[in-house]
Amino acid sequence: MPSDVPEAAKPRRAPRPRREITTAYVVTRIAVLAVTAAILLYAVPPLVAARAWIALAVLGVVTAAIVCLYLTRRLIPAKYLIPGTVFLIAFQVFPILYTVSTAFTNFGDGHRGDKQSAVTAIETGSVRQAPGSPEYTLTAAVRGDELVFLLVDPETRRVQTGSGEGLAPLEGARLGVTGKVLAAPGLTVLTAPQAAARGEEIAALAVPTAGGLIKANGLSRAVEGRAALGYDPACDCVRGDGDTWTADEARGYFVNAGGEHLAQGWQVDVGFDNFARVLTNPTISGYFAGVFGWNVVFALASVVTTFALGMGVALALHHPRMRGTRFYRIALILPYAMPSFAMLLVWRDLFNRDFGLVNQLLGLTVDWMGEPVTARFAVILVNLWLGFPYMFLVTTGALQAIPRELTEAASIDGASPWHAFRKVTLPLLLVALTPLLISSFAFNFNNFNAIQLTSEGGPFPAENPQVGATDLLITYTFRLAFGTGGAQFGFAAAISVFIFAIVALISVVAFRRTRRQEEVYA
Amino acid sequence: MRNRALGAAALATLTLAATACGGGSTAPSAAPTGSATAAPADKGGGRLVIWADPNRVKALKPFADQFGTENGVSVEVKEISKDNQQTFLTASQQGSGPDVMVGAHDWIGNLVQNGAIDPVNLTEEQKAAFSGIALKAVTFDGQVYAAPYAVENIALIRNTKLAPDAPATLEDMVAKGKELKEAGKVKEILCLPVAQKGDAFHVYPIFAAGGGSLFGTTPSGDPDPKKVLLGSAESVKAFGRLKELGEKGDGALKTSITNENYVATFAGGRCAFLISGPWAMGDVKKGGISYDITPVPSFEGGKPATPFVGVQSFFVAAKGKNKTLAQEFVANYVTNKDVAKALYDADPRPPALTAALQEVQAADADAGKFMDAGKDGFPMPAIPEMQAVWEPFGIAEAAVVKGGDPAEAAEAAQKTIDGSLKN
Amino acid sequence: MRLALRHVFVLVVCAFALFPIVFVVSAAINPLGTLASTDLLPDGASLANFADLFGSDVYPFGRWFLNSVFIALTASFAGLLLSMSAAYAFSRMRFRGRRVGLLALLLIQMFPQFLAIVTIFIIFTKVTELYPAFGFDTSWGLVLLYLGAALGVNTWLMKGFLDTVPKELDEAATVDGATHAQIFWRVIMPLVTPILAVTAMLAFIGIMSEFIIASVFLRDPASKTLAVGMYGMIAGDQRNANFGMFAAATLLTAIPTVGVFLWLQKYIVSGLTSGAVKG
Repeated sequence: MPSDVPEAAKPRRAPRPRREITTAYVVTRIAVLAVTAAILLYAVPPLVAARAWIALAVLGVVTAAIVCLYLTRRLIPAKYLIPGTVFLIAFQVFPILYTVSTAFTNFGDGHRGDKQSAVTAIETGSVRQAPGSPEYTLTAAVRGDELVFLLVDPETRRVQTGSGEGLAPLEGARLGVTGKVLAAPGLTVLTAPQAAARGEEIAALAVPTAGGLIKANGLSRAVEGRAALGYDPACDCVRGDGDTWTADEARGYFVNAGGEHLAQGWQVDVGFDNFARVLTNPTISGYFAGVFGWNVVFALASVVTTFALGMGVALALHHPRMRGTRFYRIALILPYAMPSFAMLLVWRDLFNRDFGLVNQLLGLTVDWMGEPVTARFAVILVNLWLGFPYMFLVTTGALQAIPRELTEAASIDGASPWHAFRKVTLPLLLVALTPLLISSFAFNFNNFNAIQLTSEGGPFPAENPQVGATDLLITYTFRLAFGTGGAQFGFAAAISVFIFAIVALISVVAFRRTRRQEEVYA
Repeated sequence: MRNRALGAAALATLTLAATACGGGSTAPSAAPTGSATAAPADKGGGRLVIWADPNRVKALKPFADQFGTENGVSVEVKEISKDNQQTFLTASQQGSGPDVMVGAHDWIGNLVQNGAIDPVNLTEEQKAAFSGIALKAVTFDGQVYAAPYAVENIALIRNTKLAPDAPATLEDMVAKGKELKEAGKVKEILCLPVAQKGDAFHVYPIFAAGGGSLFGTTPSGDPDPKKVLLGSAESVKAFGRLKELGEKGDGALKTSITNENYVATFAGGRCAFLISGPWAMGDVKKGGISYDITPVPSFEGGKPATPFVGVQSFFVAAKGKNKTLAQEFVANYVTNKDVAKALYDADPRPPALTAALQEVQAADADAGKFMDAGKDGFPMPAIPEMQAVWEPFGIAEAAVVKGGDPAEAAEAAQKTIDGSLKN
Repeated sequence: MRLALRHVFVLVVCAFALFPIVFVVSAAINPLGTLASTDLLPDGASLANFADLFGSDVYPFGRWFLNSVFIALTASFAGLLLSMSAAYAFSRMRFRGRRVGLLALLLIQMFPQFLAIVTIFIIFTKVTELYPAFGFDTSWGLVLLYLGAALGVNTWLMKGFLDTVPKELDEAATVDGATHAQIFWRVIMPLVTPILAVTAMLAFIGIMSEFIIASVFLRDPASKTLAVGMYGMIAGDQRNANFGMFAAATLLTAIPTVGVFLWLQKYIVSGLTSGAVKG
């Protein structure tokens, strides 16, 4: 055995009783090595080509760790946990960490990039064509290895070469009908595909002139322009147009004496500002209690109704002499098989007062989504429709785990079916399903789509367009974060942290209560 | 042993987390199920990537291919169907955005503040070829930021069988609608989407006709985000007019008429008047009714019922990998008449190029009629602050339509907008 | 409960379940279907919308269909293995950090994931450059991404189930000299087929209808899944124009799901107790 185990993985403590080296053992070890080799063969070359040495080192370490894990006979739980955990960390934990980290910044529209990008954008955006300058017809060419522009003034048809050094007249060039240069002495004119392939170089070339710079504008035109605004590192400010905007590192903007800022900003750390904003925002604090109350009701009602209905039909079908179960089951999972975004929109229209089927079939004229009470009822009903097939499937599966003898024994003991259900079936179901109910509660607590695609938080009272009757915490706070001149990701991240704290607290309390249950059956 | 299991797991997870968080030069490299063949990464060069919404991908494809052939590059047209503007911004920032983006002109303010697009340099000749309003719409802060290709605005579309004459005023229109409704010929007086949250875009002409306004203007004539006028006395009066038209008044505006049903109801002949744009014409034609398109009328003695004008545009991404090609495509290629016409054929919205519009008009009078209806229109403000206005304005509209107090609704909207712009 | 009562109850629930779907069917066979039709009975019955769907040169519906089925099958199967392994460890082994790990799995699901899109771009921009086979616009990349959610709730579901399988079974196997891997594959797996089938079903359905992540991940019209492609059909102001085709597509989307359900149904209701006897 030690021969095929790397040194690092050798047991150091008292070894477990030795087992024989079975064929399966050897095969699995070879498989581990083969898969590792394949992954490395695939993953390493691009990293080397991209000179991503850190990534390469990490890849090596991680691969080695995983190989050790599967070659050794120890660390058994990790063998079963690692595969899923790798993906969990990359695609779920990383986004969460990233979200939390942005809560301390002003990341959002106007503040997405770094300062350098903001400066570039400010300068690029302020470039104006030099007054009276010609709009040159451009041909790209090379002189030796150097890229040069052949610039033709369309009015005088005079040809000049433009390079990093400046403009120089060119004689003897042959022009085509479009004004492009076809051939020039001492120069190799680039064809369109050749020029296109050197797009980055062409974009980078700036020909200095007295009035500014000549830059390519696509592949066939060039203009002389001048940036009205320029960054000056000496004062850490942007100057131009007779004004000065100084960098304000606290806000991530260039600000002038009058307090006006340039549109383009950059991302800066703002400490706990976003959290403070959540706590001090009058809209959030002023309506928190009411919205929170409804939010809990919505989440609880969603869980209770979906579970009750899903379990109800699962129980009804769970009978040896029940016929047509196949048909019933298909009909019951269909709501879940439809794309939910589409069905939410369909439901919204079913509840329309004058055009909706619900009123038409029931002969009513209720403005379902227009009155607070009916709107709340409607969104819970829609959520019930969307969610009960899930509970139905899960309960159907869980019911199979409950030995029929147990319920039969109870009924022989003279217990009523209801009593048998309460005392035997339901407790056993809850063992397996409580965590799902908790996570279903958490999901519905933040069920953004169920509200956004049906009532959109409404109806709104005339005196307050910010908080509607069906708004959840997440819908009304995100409206604040995304409805005001662009997305404010940092603020929304801080809101998420608060909402997460609330949901997690409720869930952990509920989870603790299941602990004793688990120990009994585990 | 337990300790070591945990230790190893912790190590592996930490390194992975480090990989993922490193962003920059590292990447989550532990892709354990990898078995596909390694293809070398395409390093850009002669490749142009265009992002568009689903409606336009098909129309763009042949022209993109032609551009690719002419310039010896490969052109990919990708389809984005959800949150296009935000997806573009995020992707650009992270370096996997397109070279050219297709979108509406009112994105410009936000795209500029994020440094996501470059100005587009058009020659004077090119500029002169566009309709004035299209060029005005894509000009932001004195700089042209996009090549416009289609202009769209709403107009009054009427069923000429039910209402042979174009109404001179909104009062006439409502009277005619009521008359038809009482005669049982139609179900609704006016098909204009309001829905539970209001629809600022569609109701704006009527709001403007009633004297209301959103922003004051800067000396240069642009909307001034610092002067929100939704709560002004004139705007309150305009909301009052909306209330009169609403559910407790004439019943011409109703929250049950929504974006989903308003065109269908008109196309089904159950409504004599529709306020909508070129995008509704497909359904209207499918419904087989005879119709005419006229500007939205005003109230008797009211202000002009100016609609919002939206301009569909091509943007050059500032962080694109191939800006030269992108500039070439946007400034020198899509500004030609044939491209404009092909886009019109795929999705009939009046072209921004005057020459293309004239050709289109010869075959299809609707385009010109829509253009007429929007000639005094108000290009949707491209300033980022507009984002803060749409929703409160809509909710105030829905509130008065349902019979709420105009002063209260207007004041609440003004307060909300002021509050969010201060932040 | 009397059998007849059971039937009545289930039929009522089925009616509730099918009510909006009947509306969609009506729109799908209605040649003038719109989202706003007020009538359950269509103006006429035709398969024009289905024909349009398959004949469309804008919407490569067949490709979407194949993409969706491939991604959903691959990701749900692989995800099932991942979550089943984790559930086995959590249920059968005692190690430090077990309780915390379980709680963490539950809590991670509760964090509002609105910035996930940004992180997807951070990660996959690099992946696309280095390993285009797993980059944007590829089914494999999306499968990897979906595996991130594999542990989530499913581990809990299966762990709860495993907890109800008597421990004596695997203890007996251990005494017989079976390794943990043998116990996992030969003893545990056969016993829990119902919950494997249920979880597979849930994962399959979840992936079939997922579109928020897929819509930023898949941009090539030919690489899209049904949900993404269909969302594009009714995005923006095309909502009404395409609704008939969209309704038809919605119905067709349900076919693979129902197919998978029919296939798995016998496992779902096979019953653990009978399995236990065999084991």
